[in-house]
Amino acid sequence: MRDSDVLDKNPHVSRSALEAIHGQVFGWALSRSDYDPAVAEDLVQQAYVELLTGKARFDNRSSLRTFVFSVVQNLARSRYRRIASRLRLVKAAGISAVDDAVQPIEPNENAAVWKVVQELPQRQRDIVELVFCRDMTIEAAAAVMGVTVGTGRAHYDRAKKTLKKKLTNIGAGIDD
Amino acid sequence: MTDSDTPLRVALREAQAGVENAGVPQFDRVWAAANARTQSLRRKRRVVAGSVAAAAVAAIAFGLLMPREVELRFVDEDELLGTTSWFAPSDGLLPEYQFDIYQEIPVLIESTETFGGALL
Repeated sequence: MRDSDVLDKNPHVSRSALEAIHGQVFGWALSRSDYDPAVAEDLVQQAYVELLTGKARFDNRSSLRTFVFSVVQNLARSRYRRIASRLRLVKAAGISAVDDAVQPIEPNENAAVWKVVQELPQRQRDIVELVFCRDMTIEAAAAVMGVTVGTGRAHYDRAKKTLKKKLTNIGAGIDD
Repeated sequence: MTDSDTPLRVALREAQAGVENAGVPQFDRVWAAANARTQSLRRKRRVVAGSVAAAAVAAIAFGLLMPREVELRFVDEDELLGTTSWFAPSDGLLPEYQFDIYQEIPVLIESTETFGGALL
């Protein structure tokens, strides 16, 4: 870590370290935003703002990647809470059509495997993505998701069993 | 994760790669935008803090510089009593100033002479 790289408000974070994980962070943001690249970029940008202002302070208790993933996860949650409350207000006001309501872009579900993953409950889908696709440990994935390691492990086991069963049924060729 | 998970892992990674086909935006561009947003946030905060400080200074200055309509002054109790007098409203009924009608009681003339067995 070059000294000049270090963020003023976050002494354990450097620009080059963030640049090294930028692609992975964007991938995670993409999955948090229903695969909308514009929203994902905004989430990543907002996460960097949180780090630059010191609002999100990294203190080396986990890896930087786990920490930044958690920041993105929290930002995505707040964003969807805001959208949900706005939609509730719109519904309460009895407005049938809203032009600026966010319509999630459906990911390319041609891949049968990915479709099966999408059918999993949210928490199971998250842990599968973090552990299998983003090379995280169950502990780190649980930290990102904001659940205990025990809960994370339970979601992981259930997801794995369901996936193996369903993928075997569709003949995706993942037999042990 | 065990070795038996490897095929599942490979399958999921391939599937995910197909989904995440959106190009990763350039780090420099995102970083520059984040920096600009941070600067803008700081400017906004400075403007708000400056406005609050200016309002506070203006309020204090107004309080100090505003001319007072009534000047507060210390009043000495003895001086106040010495310059104060009080008259009863009924004093005006008295025939003369400081004349007390009750100081002298009028005495009726006593007669010692009699007429027909009775005192005159």
